[in-house]
Amino acid sequence: MAYLSMGEAHRRIADYLSRFSEAVLSQDGSSLKPLLSVSSNSPILFSLADALNVFQDANRLIKQSDRYSQLAEILVPLFRCLQNYRIEHLVDAYTAFEKAANAFLQEFRNWESAWAMEAMYVIAYEIRVLAERGKGSKRVGALYVTCQLFKVYFKLGTVHLCRSVIRSIETARIFDFEEFPVRDKVTYMYYTGRLEVFNENFIAADQKLTYALTHCDPQREANIRLILKYLVPVKLSLGILPKRRLLEKYNLVEYNNVVQALRRGDLRLLRHALQEHEDRFLRSGVYLVLEKLELQVYQRLVKKIYIIQKQKDPSKAHQVKLEVIVKALKWLEMNMDVDEVECIMAILIYKNLVKGYFAHKSKVVVLSKQDPFPKLNGKPVNS
Amino acid sequence: MQVIITTIHSKPTIRTLNNQECIKTQTAGGYPSSDYSNQNNLWNEGNYASYSSHQYPNYTPSDSNGAHNSSAVAATPLHYQQNYKQWADYYSQIDVSCAPGTENMSVSSATTLACPIPGVSAGYPTPNNQPPPPGTTSWRPESGSSELPSFQAGAVVGNTQDGYWKHGTSVFQNHHATPTPYFQKPLDSNPLPYDDRQDQQKTACPPGPNVQYSTTHQVPQKYQSPMQAVPSLDARRVSKLQIPTNPRIASNLALGLPRTDKDSSTTNAAAKPAYISISMPKHNNKVPSNEVADSVLKPGMFPTSLRAYVERALARCKDDSQKAACQNIMKEMITKASADGTLFTRDWDTEPLFPLPNMDAVNKDSIQSSTIAPSLPKFKRSPSRRTKSRWEPVPEEKPVEKLASVNYVAMKDVNWDKFKEKDGTISSGKCESKENNWSGVKFLPQQQTPSKSSPRPVKKQRLSDNSNLAENGGTSSDSDKEQSLTAYYSSAIALADSPEERKRRENRSKRFEKVHGHRAETKNLRTKDVGAGNLYTRRLTALERGKNYEDSGNRAVEDIDWDALTVKGTCQEIEKRYLRLTSAPDLATVRPEEVLEKALLMVQSSQKNYLYKCDQLKSIRQDLTVQRIRNELTVKVYETHARLALEAGDLPEYNQCQSQLKTLYAEGIKGCHMEFSAYNLLCVIMHSNNNRDLLSSMARLSREAKEHEAVRHALAVRAAVTSGNYVSFFRLYKTAPNLNTCLMDLYVEKMRFEAVRCMSRSYRPSLPLAFIAQVLGFPSVLSTTEGGNEKDTDGLEECEEWLRAHGACLTVDNNGEMQFDTKASTSSLYIPEPEDAVAHGDANLAVNDFLTRTS
Repeated sequence: MAYLSMGEAHRRIADYLSRFSEAVLSQDGSSLKPLLSVSSNSPILFSLADALNVFQDANRLIKQSDRYSQLAEILVPLFRCLQNYRIEHLVDAYTAFEKAANAFLQEFRNWESAWAMEAMYVIAYEIRVLAERGKGSKRVGALYVTCQLFKVYFKLGTVHLCRSVIRSIETARIFDFEEFPVRDKVTYMYYTGRLEVFNENFIAADQKLTYALTHCDPQREANIRLILKYLVPVKLSLGILPKRRLLEKYNLVEYNNVVQALRRGDLRLLRHALQEHEDRFLRSGVYLVLEKLELQVYQRLVKKIYIIQKQKDPSKAHQVKLEVIVKALKWLEMNMDVDEVECIMAILIYKNLVKGYFAHKSKVVVLSKQDPFPKLNGKPVNS
Repeated sequence: MQVIITTIHSKPTIRTLNNQECIKTQTAGGYPSSDYSNQNNLWNEGNYASYSSHQYPNYTPSDSNGAHNSSAVAATPLHYQQNYKQWADYYSQIDVSCAPGTENMSVSSATTLACPIPGVSAGYPTPNNQPPPPGTTSWRPESGSSELPSFQAGAVVGNTQDGYWKHGTSVFQNHHATPTPYFQKPLDSNPLPYDDRQDQQKTACPPGPNVQYSTTHQVPQKYQSPMQAVPSLDARRVSKLQIPTNPRIASNLALGLPRTDKDSSTTNAAAKPAYISISMPKHNNKVPSNEVADSVLKPGMFPTSLRAYVERALARCKDDSQKAACQNIMKEMITKASADGTLFTRDWDTEPLFPLPNMDAVNKDSIQSSTIAPSLPKFKRSPSRRTKSRWEPVPEEKPVEKLASVNYVAMKDVNWDKFKEKDGTISSGKCESKENNWSGVKFLPQQQTPSKSSPRPVKKQRLSDNSNLAENGGTSSDSDKEQSLTAYYSSAIALADSPEERKRRENRSKRFEKVHGHRAETKNLRTKDVGAGNLYTRRLTALERGKNYEDSGNRAVEDIDWDALTVKGTCQEIEKRYLRLTSAPDLATVRPEEVLEKALLMVQSSQKNYLYKCDQLKSIRQDLTVQRIRNELTVKVYETHARLALEAGDLPEYNQCQSQLKTLYAEGIKGCHMEFSAYNLLCVIMHSNNNRDLLSSMARLSREAKEHEAVRHALAVRAAVTSGNYVSFFRLYKTAPNLNTCLMDLYVEKMRFEAVRCMSRSYRPSLPLAFIAQVLGFPSVLSTTEGGNEKDTDGLEECEEWLRAHGACLTVDNNGEMQFDTKASTSSLYIPEPEDAVAHGDANLAVNDFLTRTS
């Protein structure tokens, strides 16, 4: 390496800094890209790395200026990474880059638009490449990158992009999932679980979220709450109700009334609960899942009628008159006419929430004598 | 011989120029042939080679001194004719109001009778040229006369675009009628021109009489402000170019004109390049200043970093007096440094520049002493103004040389040579000139120029109150800003010249070449076909301008002044067939807003079929789009079209309208937002099984929206669909507001089939057909009581037919009522192949079917 004067080194560093901050300020993702491509072996970064090795006090440069100090969280580890990379200390380079990447991600979340998407890709790519070079930590990198991408995608609402990332994790044979660090496994399961919730694959969602829950650090209550936020509706869809204590412990009280409605067969309560937290449920994406619980509420209601009838007259208990159900709904201030209730009964039977048949002529639900209200027991509603 | 310098803004060009060490000339209308040839060379070698060769295949680059090619000349006339036609239209239709002070301009531009221009234009085809803003403002009345000088300057500098020439053409016609006035015009500002003019007029092709100053420009500088003081010009470079370094105005004229004449006579008498000489008062200083720098710092005697420092310092100067002051300061510094022995030890790269001497008074003096036209009073620069050349990408060769970027060009008044070849032959003597009256024309000249070098946006120009409009592209530029930034700059100077910095700039510019350049190139090609100066050109220019901004790092594409590009059609026909544009719209066939309004009413009240209406609406939409009309009329048009499309079941068209409406509503334009929110919601439900889309659509609804009847209905439909509640669905179907039914129609089949399956499983033993028909919304069942039997059976029959088609088992009970045998049907139901299925999958594409449905 040719001799590098302090002045030149200083200039290179300052140049890099100004380019970096200018790219961020002007939200110019493609200018930012080359500045992050540590493994690209670009002359710019090499000469910067040389400059950093000559000019030892680069961090002071960063902290001197307001413009740069805002980005210090990214820049300081990034510089360290560049230096290490230049002298082939790949493991250190990786560690430093990971820090920079985390800081970048933090910033990324704060940026309104997705202008830095390209830069984000570069970071993800670099993480992988550096991890690969730093011996043996390839797997570490892979899942970490995936998880970071998940976060980005969910944030951006471009969830469909997750699919390709998942595929690469699931199909790559070199990975043994269990070898990943727990941290990444939990994150991965959490996000893929959420995806399954969107797709209403409740069994898969249950498995993934349960995995995340059981492997999650018990001290991290916020994370547990996040997981439960999705796991509770999933479990409800499978007919498994949580204890009130659980909901309260993790501050998931918005589900209280939903659970209560399921226990009581109280359609009104369910609808109120949905209405009350509509925005929240819509945003988290569980609204449709919760709405589907209506059928279980109907089931519970009919079951209650059946139980009452059974107490009165066991011989006729298996015939539930439509008008009785209509009346019960009326008490709940659900004004539905006969046709509509009949339709719902038909659907209950069709979906196997009620065993029996509907006699149209006599307007009676004829219940099976054996197990007229089959429990879901961890199976989703319907065929 | 004169020195002619062209400012070129595009970075690639600059680089090329540097490499060749070419100096270009900037003249308004007439270009000395040598310049042109130079430029051509550049273009051919540069990125845009393909373009230039395309347009002027015959043109062979000549050496820097070379006379322009006759072949090129030959190529141009055609060009012109096309252009002329277009512009003639424009001019006739646009009423031109001259802004005060614009007259000057027009006069000067009108002056040239010279035919040679073809050659010029040939040399100029490339869009990469970045002429300083050619009098953007001058075309706009608002700009006021004060800004004129700068415009003229700008025009002179860079504007040699085709569009330009078009102007010229039209101008010429008028001129013909009144040839004299132009001599009498306010050329007073330029004393020199007259003689020349007369000389030239004697020749076959009298060149324009305009005298402007010519300026030397060193390539690195992207932008030249007309009044800008000229930093040092590297003498060596000049000599290489074989161009005299001292292009005084007077000498320019004297030397340049004769030569031009000679050239033109040798090549083609008729096609002599129009020639405009520009008076350049400050010119002489350039060379001296360089010399000073050289003398102060003989290469080898002093560290290169010091030399760079000196050049940086000089580059800041806006004029010669300032420069002189700087030189004095530096001399002192250097003397001091050598005295205390720090000359070689100090880090000149990081040494902050000393503050510029306050040159207010000096400036004034210099202006007065110069040949500046009296009509250009606003030329004063702000004291701290400094040229930006150092921020520009510099060629890779020797750093030191690069630093010595020079710019100049002060120009006061520009006379334009305008000409037109009427019959398209080079030798035609029919050039007509007229007084230039484009000042009121809506289209800015630079818009018509395809050149990259296009000036900064009008906006920007207005910002700076002096003539330094042309900024150096790179870093900023308003003089007031400048002062505050001085501190930063001085610290950043060190960076600016580092190799990385240079590389970075290059990369940046390359990046844009990739993005814009390509587009620009193709556009240019098209432009050529259509005739330069048309809309494409203008758009292109806008694009190019955008590019410049990005290049400069200061501005975004959004800064393009699209408003200035907006056109207004002139067609008065109410009816117009839709034709997808494959070229720039012809304003004669574009209807203005008032007419479009009538057209919409016409379509709305028309009795004709959907195809006709769709066609009409598409043409209305197109006219709206090309004129950038986005208001309530636009919303109305899209709403009308969307509704018609829904009624006709033309979903692709509906989707187009819906997506436009979405953005229109988002812009706050009023319309039936709620109605269309409902449609949108229904669309999501009906078309995709995508829960996420559905959720986000629902989450986006405002509280008021949810209260709205149509939206509430759509939400209820959504609930019915997700829960499979067929009773509710078909009730909603019957009570649907607006055209919600049309969208629900798309789901009816699916809903019915699901319902029948459900019934077959849950009902025993059977279900009366009448009930099914009623519940599943088969028509006219509602009117069972009041309607006649006829009607009843209609609904029943249809229901029966439908059930049979889907494999249901039907029986007749004791009372003769048709029954749906649920148990038997459980396993026999199926969805039949749609009868209207077409091989390509989209029934809408079956024209005959479509025609019958929609007529």
